[in-house]
Amino acid sequence: MSMNGQSPTELPPIELRVAWMPLIDCAPLVAASRLGLDRAQGLRLKLERQASWAAVRDRLLSGEVDAAHLPASMIHAIELGIAGPAAPMAWLMTLNQNGQAITLGTALADALQAGEPLPAVLARLPRTALLAQTFPTGTHALWLYYWLAARGVDPMRDIAALSIPPPQMPAALAEGRIDGYCSGEPWAAVAQAQGHGRVVIRSGALWPGHPEKALACRRDLAALQPERVERLVACVLAACRWLDEDPAHRRQCAGWLAEDGLIGAPAQRLAACLADDPADPQALAFHRGGAVNFPWLSDGAWFVRQFVRWGWCAEGAIDAARLRDIHRLDSYRRAAAAIGVEVPAADTRDSRPKL
Amino acid sequence: MRVLLVNDTDKPIGALRQALASAGYEVLDEVAGTAALLRAVETGQPDVVIIDVDSPSRDTLEQLAMLHSHAPRPVVMFSGNGEDALIRAAVGAGVTAYVVDGLAPERLAPIVQVALARFEQESGMRRRLGEVQQALEDRKLVDRAKGVLMSRRGMSEAQAYAALRQQAMKQGLKLAEVAKRILDMAELWG
Repeated sequence: MSMNGQSPTELPPIELRVAWMPLIDCAPLVAASRLGLDRAQGLRLKLERQASWAAVRDRLLSGEVDAAHLPASMIHAIELGIAGPAAPMAWLMTLNQNGQAITLGTALADALQAGEPLPAVLARLPRTALLAQTFPTGTHALWLYYWLAARGVDPMRDIAALSIPPPQMPAALAEGRIDGYCSGEPWAAVAQAQGHGRVVIRSGALWPGHPEKALACRRDLAALQPERVERLVACVLAACRWLDEDPAHRRQCAGWLAEDGLIGAPAQRLAACLADDPADPQALAFHRGGAVNFPWLSDGAWFVRQFVRWGWCAEGAIDAARLRDIHRLDSYRRAAAAIGVEVPAADTRDSRPKL
Repeated sequence: MRVLLVNDTDKPIGALRQALASAGYEVLDEVAGTAALLRAVETGQPDVVIIDVDSPSRDTLEQLAMLHSHAPRPVVMFSGNGEDALIRAAVGAGVTAYVVDGLAPERLAPIVQVALARFEQESGMRRRLGEVQQALEDRKLVDRAKGVLMSRRGMSEAQAYAALRQQAMKQGLKLAEVAKRILDMAELWG
């Protein structure tokens, strides 16, 4: 089948290697491959599972893979070389909005819910609060730090932050090695089910419609192979549309993700994490008529402002022209038009948390 | 020099111990997981961590590198496929080096040394670059503050500079800090 109404190309498909991490928001990539949406664009996606974001980054920069599923803020962090290698990057499209959560140990969550201010809650601990995220410059770190600061806790001074792989977070909380964490699902649901922690805020409540994971590539690929990149965006965008089309599609995708080579968690738990509620602006969203996927300039600008806020880069480190180089708005618009997805006329939106 | 081996994938990282020890490195007890890794870094203070490219603990090291300039580095990876481009990119970044599968363990020690030297060179360069940038920023501040004094107080450039220096000495501040205060005040008064 073809998404753009043209007959599938006679040429052999172009293979594109895409690195991804086993989290539910890799769903669009898996769906694109399973549904053959890549073939409809004359591509063959080769999905390569990684064990860390550092490995995703290194393989992207070395050319071992062509594109990657990345926490959107890592695109700008790599562009700037914050605490790691620097390379020109491209944000092709947003894969999803919302769907992350901050979990605290049960006693702390209870105190917070009872109305105690967060600084007092954390002061109950016999040590500096140890809070985990998934990557130093990733979205989870930024949601966690933003929330702490909004609640009167300085994330750079009042707590100790560490990065640990999300599957290890519930156990670390249960064993008292950490006091809380910010992660994607199903890792908040697991701690809650085991009774060791409770979600104190969902990322969608912090910022309804925040950008989360992005489809990214090196800027040379985006600039030198625009047609190839547009086909990639078209097929993944079609998969995002499919995921939001029908609740049954998400259940079907949960079945794929449950397979061993993919996430390898129980299908039922994954289906619960993927369950959709289109009426809820805080729910995990993959498409919403295209509103989710546009790589808004202002989303990237917000990430860079957070980097400045936490002292990771200087003001103006990424100027307006460079931001436009990173966010491939033209590629996105052409790909969306090719498969009949509506595109916004504006390049920016009101990108900021509501907390 | 102290070396820590992280052994949490199916690659034989532990097998490197003997080669490193005989090359004169102090090899800490190997760890297999994030919790043990964090403890070992804190108590053993390794200079180098050797970890598989596919280890799930890599992001933990990334955070340590971000927090502490004295965090153990470089991270030397042990890669199964060892593509040339990957190794070049990693070594080029200065922080990481990759050791390919099938490499004789006795060749590891010199690679660790090269990687460490590269890291030291790189961090020295970064520090110097940071210093140069800071100096440039400072000079811009001082120039702008001089401009304010010249236009509002009718001072000559030499007088403005002397006034800034005098304030800095009196208050025990850096010239740039005094300049920043003057600019803040000027903004306040409009």
